Amino acid sequence: MKHLRKLSYPYLVWMVLLVFVPTLLVLLLSVSDLDVFNAGPFRLTFEWIEFLGKPKVTNAVRNSIYYSFLATFFSFLIGYPVAYYLASLKTRFKTFYVTLLIIPIWSNMLLRIIAWEKLFFPISILNMFGISFDLIGTDYAILIGMVSMYLPFMVLPIYSVLEKMDRSLVDAAKDLGANDFQTFYKVIFPLSISGVVSGTIMTLLPAMTAFALPERLGAGKIQLIGNVIEDYFLKTNNINAGSLISILLMVVIVFMFIAILRFDKEGETLI
Amino acid sequence: MDKVLVELKNIKKSYDDTEVIHNLSLYIKENEFLTLLGPSGCGKTTLLRIIGGFETHDDGQVIFDGQDMKDTPAYQREINTVFQNYALFPHLNVFDNVAFGLRIKKLDKDTIDTKVKNALRLVKLEGYEQRPVSKMSGGQQQRVAIARAIVNEPKLLLLDEPLGSLDLKLRQDMQYELKEMQESLGISFIFVTHDQEEALTMSDTVVVMKDGVIQQIGRPEDIYNEPKNRFTASFIGESNIVEGVMKEDYLVHFEGLDFTCVDKGFAKNEPIDIVIRPEDIVLAAPADDRINGVVDDIIFKGVHYEIIVLVNGREYIIHSTDPVNVGDEVSLNFDPDEIHVMKRTDEASS
Repeated sequence: MKHLRKLSYPYLVWMVLLVFVPTLLVLLLSVSDLDVFNAGPFRLTFEWIEFLGKPKVTNAVRNSIYYSFLATFFSFLIGYPVAYYLASLKTRFKTFYVTLLIIPIWSNMLLRIIAWEKLFFPISILNMFGISFDLIGTDYAILIGMVSMYLPFMVLPIYSVLEKMDRSLVDAAKDLGANDFQTFYKVIFPLSISGVVSGTIMTLLPAMTAFALPERLGAGKIQLIGNVIEDYFLKTNNINAGSLISILLMVVIVFMFIAILRFDKEGETLI
Repeated sequence: MDKVLVELKNIKKSYDDTEVIHNLSLYIKENEFLTLLGPSGCGKTTLLRIIGGFETHDDGQVIFDGQDMKDTPAYQREINTVFQNYALFPHLNVFDNVAFGLRIKKLDKDTIDTKVKNALRLVKLEGYEQRPVSKMSGGQQQRVAIARAIVNEPKLLLLDEPLGSLDLKLRQDMQYELKEMQESLGISFIFVTHDQEEALTMSDTVVVMKDGVIQQIGRPEDIYNEPKNRFTASFIGESNIVEGVMKEDYLVHFEGLDFTCVDKGFAKNEPIDIVIRPEDIVLAAPADDRINGVVDDIIFKGVHYEIIVLVNGREYIIHSTDPVNVGDEVSLNFDPDEIHVMKRTDEASS
């Protein structure tokens, strides 16, 4: 297989140029006084850490955690029964139903966010049906948007675990006297936990780092950590503070992936 | 051993318009080891699942311990099952698997400990309590599955081809152990298998099934020695099945000769099937009043030789410990009580 290794070179170049080098740059920016006006000699500094204590940042961190956890919780609440139902289907349309669930992911996310935005303004196409929402800038808008964006990422890992589960285990539990509820919480749920962990992280991560969604549906009133990073880079030109926050966010993400791998060693729930 | 534990009355079951069980009736007595024997697709597993409550029958009654089970879900039946693939809970260790049913019943911890220990001792798995089930061999997993079922002290244990995936030696050991266990526990076993040897070794009663219909019910000896039809005869062990005519009581005609036999009660000149077991035929020098043929093939089988003798173009299988040579002219000899006469069935030989 050695000669096939050459085929991976384009990917290696890609990784180095577009992932490894930029990450190093961001890391350097977060601990130095290099910036758009200072490309010359630089000194290392930890002065950017004080930005982490600013209300703007702490607020955004709190918002990120609050909205991403709530959105993940609701996604789980809605997603688990859906995954369970899909996995238990016996029809030949099963794949078709699962595809229906995936289709939204194939359309551009920004497009879907803007679609929600239009519906949440008081004057919208919904007026045709005598319905009018005024949700822009509220918790509801953010949460509905997040759940609708990330629900498939919760459903799919849980579905794939439940799908592979040996149905005779359910018979065995019933055989041993467990009613439907006991069968669920003593057998089915514990065996699907790896899917739940994957689904949770797959939902939590993008929700936590979202920035287009809160910007459009939150109308600038609700800032998540992604919005703050965007602000520092594009509006206030403090790319050092932005870099530091980015790096910290990356560390959190890496830890979350380590958590997935501990629960799911074969990576089967990641599809 | 006399009280009836389970009674099946006129059970019918279809899947998508295909009837898999036709109007089947059967009863199982207390402390009986009953085997459902038949080829795959004969409805034996479906019948077991109906008794266990995992399938609902379309028509008929399942009466367990005097009660109609129609509205009793699987989890409320005093029946436990050893599943074909064992269906052990992969997230639990051996102890927790075996304790599963007892914990559902909310027994106290000490009772559970004692009962699980006893069950594991019975299946010879003491000391394996903390072992994850995935780290155990097929034979051990099977013992865990048995322990998990019997620890609940059911009145009836259902076993769905539990020995199927074990190797020959282990399978034979487990056959004896299961039989012993059934006798010492004093509970009824319904055992499903397609292996005739397994059925004959362990059972008090064998039920031979084909296409959702019971072919014959009887003690293993009766099933083997007095098969009721061509199917049972060919399914239970190797046999020579020949068409013949029942001339009168105790006189049967086949291969152009008359033989005295021990069967009666057939119509005069009724066409019948005759079965002669390979080990019941003794080869001797050709003689006028015997069936004569030529040795076509001889295969060494370990305990005996399998000898194929051609008689008028028909193959006879004979098991013998004495070797012969291919091409030898021989006669087939058997006693009157080794000729088993069966009612003719329409089906072609299978």
